[in-house]
Amino acid sequence: MRGFTRRPNTMIVLGLAVASVALAARDPVWTDTWVIVGVFVLIALSTGISYGQAGILSMSQGAFAAIGGYAAAVSTLRFRLPPGIDLLIAAALPALLAYGLARLVTRLTPLATALATLALGSVIEIALRNMDNITGGYIGLAGIPGIGIIDTPLKYCVLVWVMICLCVLMYENLVNSPFGRALNVIRHDRTRAQADGVNVPQLLSAAFAFSAAIAGSAGWIYAHYISYISPNSLDTHTSISALLMTVIGGSGIILGPLAGTVFLDVLVRHLPAQELQGMFYGGALILILILAPTGLLGLVPALLARLRVHRAPRGTTKAATVEREATQ
Amino acid sequence: MYVLTEYIVRGIQAGSIYGLLALPMSLLFATAGTIDFAVGAYALLAAAVATIIAGPLGIAVAIAAAVTAAAGMGVIFLVLTRIGTKDHIVFALASFGLAVAIASFILWQFGTQAFVRASFSQFWSLGGIRISPQGVINLGLGALVTLLLYLLLYWTDLGRMMRAAAANPSGAELAGIPVARIQFGTYLAGGLLGGLAGIMILYSAGLDFTASLSLTLGGFGAAIIFGITSPLRCLLGGIAMGVAEALAAGYTSGMVTAMVPFLFVLIVLSASNLGGAMAGDRP
Amino acid sequence: MTGVLAASGIRMSFGGLTALKSGAIEVAAGTIIGLIGRNGSGKSTLFNCITGYVRPQAGSITLSGRDITGVAPHRIVEHGIVRTFQTPRLDFDATVLAAVLCGFYPARCSTFLGALAGLPSLHSEERRLVEKADDLIERLGLGAQRDHPLGTLSMGQVRLVEVARCLAADAKFVLLDEPAAGLTRAEQLVLCRQIRELARQGIGVLLVEHNFFLIHELCERVTVLDEGDVIFVGTPDEVARDPGVLRSYLGAAAEYAGGMAAE
Repeated sequence: MRGFTRRPNTMIVLGLAVASVALAARDPVWTDTWVIVGVFVLIALSTGISYGQAGILSMSQGAFAAIGGYAAAVSTLRFRLPPGIDLLIAAALPALLAYGLARLVTRLTPLATALATLALGSVIEIALRNMDNITGGYIGLAGIPGIGIIDTPLKYCVLVWVMICLCVLMYENLVNSPFGRALNVIRHDRTRAQADGVNVPQLLSAAFAFSAAIAGSAGWIYAHYISYISPNSLDTHTSISALLMTVIGGSGIILGPLAGTVFLDVLVRHLPAQELQGMFYGGALILILILAPTGLLGLVPALLARLRVHRAPRGTTKAATVEREATQ
Repeated sequence: MYVLTEYIVRGIQAGSIYGLLALPMSLLFATAGTIDFAVGAYALLAAAVATIIAGPLGIAVAIAAAVTAAAGMGVIFLVLTRIGTKDHIVFALASFGLAVAIASFILWQFGTQAFVRASFSQFWSLGGIRISPQGVINLGLGALVTLLLYLLLYWTDLGRMMRAAAANPSGAELAGIPVARIQFGTYLAGGLLGGLAGIMILYSAGLDFTASLSLTLGGFGAAIIFGITSPLRCLLGGIAMGVAEALAAGYTSGMVTAMVPFLFVLIVLSASNLGGAMAGDRP
Repeated sequence: MTGVLAASGIRMSFGGLTALKSGAIEVAAGTIIGLIGRNGSGKSTLFNCITGYVRPQAGSITLSGRDITGVAPHRIVEHGIVRTFQTPRLDFDATVLAAVLCGFYPARCSTFLGALAGLPSLHSEERRLVEKADDLIERLGLGAQRDHPLGTLSMGQVRLVEVARCLAADAKFVLLDEPAAGLTRAEQLVLCRQIRELARQGIGVLLVEHNFFLIHELCERVTVLDEGDVIFVGTPDEVARDPGVLRSYLGAAAEYAGGMAAE
C-alpha cells in the first residue's frame, strides 16, 4: 500500500481512468471518443516526457506513433504475428530510431533540436507515404486484426486507459529515481550534471527513446482499434496537436499533457466548425504562454499557495544575488 | 547535358524563393535568438489573398495582410519580453501557435484548394534551355531584395544598430539602441519577405494550406547551410536547396525530392555546432 | 585510502593562445594542496584538464599511476575525483536535500529501465540515500536548512552544500575552484574547518584560490603558476617570501601583503 502513497500522480490517473471509462461505457459514441482521446493522451504524455524530462521539444511524436501503428499493421498482416507480440516491435522500433537521432542532436540548443525533430517527423511521414510495398503508400493498410480477446470498443477503452496508467506509473518512477534527478540537473545546467558523473548524451537519449516507445505503443493500439492506418492517420499534424496540448496543459508536470488533451478535446468538440481547430489551439497556446507559462496545471500550485495561510520562509537571497552578479 | 543544365536553372529560379524566406529567418535569429515559425504562414496568407483579389491591387493587399499578421506576432513577442520571458523557445512556440492558427484560418476561409496562378504562357529559350519568365522574375527579385538588405545592414544607421543588437543585445541597450523595436521590425520584415515569397510561389508552383511549416523549415534550411550570418549566404543557401531539389526531381524519386529541404536541415544540424551546448564548454 | 592524483607536463592551447606550457601538480590522499597564480596564469586550464573538461595537447594526468588523461568528465567523477565550480551552478529552486541527493548519482544501483519499473528494492535504496544525505547535511551544519530552497541560503552555506555533494559522490579527491569567493571571514573559517575534516578522512584536496588567507590556513604545499609554467612549489610561507612569486604578482602584491597583515 505504501507503494501507492508515494505515487500520487498514478493514483490520480487511476481514479480518473476508472471513473471516466465507467462513464464512457454508458454510450457507444462516448466509448469510441474516449478510446481516441486515450490514444492522444498517450501521444501527449510522450511529448511531455520528451520535453519535460529530456528538454527535447519533440515534433516527431506523431511520426513515432505512426511507426508503431505501421509496425503493428505489418507484423500482424504480413508476418501473422500473434497480437500483443507486435506491441514490443511497435514500441522498440521508434525507441531505437529516437535513441539514434538523439545522440546526433543532444548537443544542439533546444531550438535547433526542436527543428531537427520537425524535420525528422516530416521525413518519416514522406517515407511512409511512399514505401508502397511495405506501407501501402497513399492507400494505407486495412484489415488490421484485433488484439486477441480485446474485441469490443469498451475493451479497447479499458486497454488504452490501462496503458495510460502504466505510462504515468513509469513516468513517476523515473521522476523519483536518480535518473529523474539527473535529468533535472541536465535541464538546468549540463556542465553541473557532468560534474555529478552523469553521461549527459546517453541519459537524454534514453529519456527520448522512452518517450518514443510510449508514442509507438499509442500507434499500436490506434492501428488495432481503427483496423486501418494511412499516412494521414498519425502525422505531423498529430505531433503538433500533441505538442500544443502538452504545453497548454503544462509540460513540466506529469499530468499536464493529460489535462491539456482532455481540456482541448472537450472544447474543440463545441467549435462551430472543425476547420477552426487550429485557430483555437494556436490561440490557446499563445494565451497560455503569456498568462500561464507553466501550463494550466501549473496554475494549481499558485492557486493552492493563495489558499494556504502559512508561507515558506524567505531568508536572504545572497547566494542567488552573488551568482547573478558573477555571471554578468 | 542540356537536361542537367535545365534542372540546375530551374533549381536556381525556385531556390531564390527559399532564399527570400531564409533572409528574415537569419535576421530574427541574429537579433532575437529565435525562429519565427509563421514565416511560411505569412507566405500562405499572401498567396491566398492574392488569389481572391486579382492584379497588382491583390498583390499589395496580400503583402499588407502578411505584414499585419507579422505585426501581430511582433506584438506577442513584445508582450512576452515585457512579462520577463527569457527562454528563446517560448517565442518560437508562440510563433508556432500563430502559424497553426493562420493555416487553420486559411483552411476555414478558402478550403483545401491549391493557390496557383499561371503568369506567363510562353517559356523562353536560351541556348536550347527552357527558362520560365516567372523564374527569372523570382531570381531577380530575390537578388534585388538580398542586395537591398545588404545595403541596409552595412550602409545605413539602422543596419548598424541592427548588427549591434545582434552582436550584443544588452550592450546595445546600454548604448541607447532600441533593441526591442529592432526585433519587432525584424518580425515585420518576416511578414514582408514571407508575403513576397508567397506571391512568387503563387505564380510558380503554387501551394495549399498544408504548406506553411514546410516552407518555414525550407527557409530555415536555406539559412543555415552556409551559416546564418549574412544576406548573401541566405540567398546562396536557398539556391543550393533549390538546385538540390531540382536535381532530385530529375534524377531520383518523388519521395527523395519531397524530403530534400528536411534532409538539408537534418544534415546541416548534425554536422554543425549551432551554439554548441556542451562539449568544449569551459566551466 | 592511498593514492596520488598527479598532472605533469600539461600543454594546452586555445586557438593561437597557449594557456598552459608545462603545468604540473601533485595531490596525495589526505593532503591539502594549493594552486595559485594571477589571472591568465593557466590555473583554470590546469584545473579543467585534470577534471576532464578539456583535453591537453601534451602531458599526462595520472591517478595512482593509472593514466586518466582525456577521460570524459563524468568518468572522472566515477574515479572519485570530484570538483566544485567557481560560480555555483545550482538550481536555486531545489532544496538542500535534493541538491545533496544529486551527488549520489555515481553510486546508482539500477538501470534506466529498472528505474522505470520502479521495483520495491529501488525504494528502499532511495530511503537509504536520503538517510545518508541527512547525515552529510548534519555533519556540515546545514540541518536546519534541509528543506529550504538553495536560493534562500547564504553563499557560505551554498559552498557547504557543494562540499556535501562531493562527499555524497564518495570523493577520493575534491577539487575546489575558488570556494572562498563571496564568503565572509566567519564563513571562510567554517569552510576551513570542513576542508580540514575532508583531509582528515583521507581525501586529497586541491584548492585553487585567490584568497591567500585560505591558502595559508589550509595548504601544506602550494604550486604557483605564471604564464602557463610552474614557477614555484613550496609551503605557503615560502611562497609569500619568494621574490619570483612577488614579481609575478607585482600588481597584486599589495593586496596579498594587506591580506596577510590583516591576520
